[in-house]
Amino acid sequence: MVRNIVVLGGNSHPALVESVCNMLGLPPCNRILTKFSSGESRCEIQDSVRGKDVFIIQTGLGGNGSRLNDHFMDLCIMISACKTGSARRVTAVLPLFPYSRQPDLPYKKAGAPLFKAGSESGKKDYTFESVPATPAPGIPQSDGLGNANDITNRLLKTSLTNGAGAMSPVKQSNGDAYFGVNGVNGVNGVNATRHLGSYTTHDYENVSHVHAFQAKPGYKQWVAQAGTLVANLLTCAGADHVITMDLHDPQVQGFFDVPVDNLYGRPLLKQYIRQHIPNYKDAVIISPDAGGAKRATAIADSMGVQFALIHKERRPTKITDRQNASMMLVGDVANRVCILIDDLADTGNTITRAAKLLKKEGATKIYALLTHGVFSGDAINRIQASAIDKVVVTNSVPQHEHKALLGSKLDVLDISPIFAEAIRRVHHGESISVLFNHE
Amino acid sequence: MSAEMANEIKLISGRSHPELSDKIAKRLGIEVARTISLNYSNQETSFTVGESVRDEDVFIVQSTQTGDVNEGLMELLIMISACRTASARRITAVIPNFPYARQDKKDKSRAPISARLVANMLQTAGANHVITVDLHASQIQGFFSVPVDNLYAEPSFLRYIRENFNPEDCVIVSPDAGGAKRATSIADHLNTAFALIHKERPRPNVVGRMVLVGNVEDKVAILVDDMADTCGTLVKAAAVLKENGAKSVLALVTHGILSGNAIETLNGSVLSALIVTNTVPLGDKVERCPKLRVIDISPTIAEAIRRTHNGESVSYLFTHAPV
Repeated sequence: MVRNIVVLGGNSHPALVESVCNMLGLPPCNRILTKFSSGESRCEIQDSVRGKDVFIIQTGLGGNGSRLNDHFMDLCIMISACKTGSARRVTAVLPLFPYSRQPDLPYKKAGAPLFKAGSESGKKDYTFESVPATPAPGIPQSDGLGNANDITNRLLKTSLTNGAGAMSPVKQSNGDAYFGVNGVNGVNGVNATRHLGSYTTHDYENVSHVHAFQAKPGYKQWVAQAGTLVANLLTCAGADHVITMDLHDPQVQGFFDVPVDNLYGRPLLKQYIRQHIPNYKDAVIISPDAGGAKRATAIADSMGVQFALIHKERRPTKITDRQNASMMLVGDVANRVCILIDDLADTGNTITRAAKLLKKEGATKIYALLTHGVFSGDAINRIQASAIDKVVVTNSVPQHEHKALLGSKLDVLDISPIFAEAIRRVHHGESISVLFNHE
Repeated sequence: MSAEMANEIKLISGRSHPELSDKIAKRLGIEVARTISLNYSNQETSFTVGESVRDEDVFIVQSTQTGDVNEGLMELLIMISACRTASARRITAVIPNFPYARQDKKDKSRAPISARLVANMLQTAGANHVITVDLHASQIQGFFSVPVDNLYAEPSFLRYIRENFNPEDCVIVSPDAGGAKRATSIADHLNTAFALIHKERPRPNVVGRMVLVGNVEDKVAILVDDMADTCGTLVKAAAVLKENGAKSVLALVTHGILSGNAIETLNGSVLSALIVTNTVPLGDKVERCPKLRVIDISPTIAEAIRRTHNGESVSYLFTHAPV
């Protein structure tokens, strides 16, 4: 029994809240957290928090019916309510930090966008210096000299006065659009739909809007990064302390002016490898992209296991096998068990593609160990159909639905002991660094 | 480009109410900036900017979509923050219907003052200025340390009444004590009678007993309020007015949130018409409810944007509605 501590749960992960409360030996704080019919969140905290040490557990879950922005606003409102309710200290516990991983480039269905896509769209934009290119496969097609209107439009664009002119042929001229421009409108149309319709989006209402979007000529479109904003909003709501796990970018910690404890899922993953993977010493630990190499090598080194890396080929290649054209394995996996390590799987695209490559390179069995298994969109189906033999995730987001769908293919590791212990230690002012290394 | 091209109005539209943004843009004679918001499959909102906002005067229009308030709010915050990162000179959040405006006080222990939280969040994201319409409580302006222009739908309402009714036949009715000020102001301008309905509200979204104070016999009773949410209050008030001998009852409301079963409630009520402004997207509600009529508020907002941009006074708009 811990005194003077209040654990308040959001709606995103009731099972974790219950389990953490059980471990701490206290009941979760009574609260009403629903929505008014207008869509505004309604929050009432029914137990006193005056002078208490409040921990609010809300994970950054989204997808498959769950509303991430609702959960985040709920969290801010709860923090604010506790603050105005004279809580001594409010700690936001976010097992999965929302908006921690956002791609810099517009999201494509193919998961994390490749550099190639970006440079392509950059090239396709009509800029101030643009000269009409010689039409050839793979070379951007000029606006075409089909009729006088086009020329007028182009002149308008070059003087940068107005970008409203028709510019779709310029925009989407990758290699195979070459044939689309001069008259074969059918091909062009199909191509445009494929190219522009490939956002992973839930924005059903504005599909036409999405398709119509184009940056101003000469301006390279960019995607807003919300990480700093989310950090600032939490502090602005009144969070005095943040506890999270396996931040995609450790730099996010620096966005905060309040202390941030970034716990690691690594010890759990290592334990799993030791206990459940036979002959793990002979296995190979794989990082599915260069960004995760550090995470994967940390595990490989401490366990004395070999390491390999999948590298995303960024030079423009002309390989027709689109799935694996851009991926390259560095290291040897033939006749070995492979353990893919990553911090987060969202659409599951990176790990399933990596698994395909590994299988092709002769891997015998493929495990995927992830801290956060968000599995939004069609991730579950993709994993079901993939070469991955076993997916291991923590319950930083609720996993029972995924478990029901994936069955024995999915193993779930429980993080509630780590969070319960972190909460206990933070409350008593003890060091939590022991949690970083515990085996 | 040339010097006079620098620092123009950039109008950015959120997803909640593109029709309103289009109308404002049309009125201002500019185009809505090329940006797009999407939700990833994990429900995170992404905002893509397709044109430069460097050193421009940015106005971001975002209303609240009924049932989707938090989604719109997060999108607005991300848009503001993005424009700040992109070196906009000034960022004005144009929020016709301020979200969480009703959660503006600590009415019981540990109740959140969410309106203040929203105000703080907007400022944290980087808003330099806020333009809104008919705040539920004008004290919300005090939650901000940046300027807040609270526009009124009242001039538009006055015109509507003058154009459609003989003010002498009307009586302006406030459906609750809180809205008395708003209603008396309209009654004074039209020089008409005024009445008030006193109500007991046991729980939010639930309406209790109602008592009429004033005389509405053989008059056109015009209910005036700032928002119509589930419409329970309005419909009950209308019934009370009818019982007290009103010739007909209509309602003038700024924000037509119309959540839950509002449309069914309205269709089955004695209200002859509900007139709202288009601060909140109405979607297909106009088709579903023949009693619903819409006053376009975009000229007022557009004019406020123009005046703010040019550094002119906006107080003219408190008494006059641009045509």
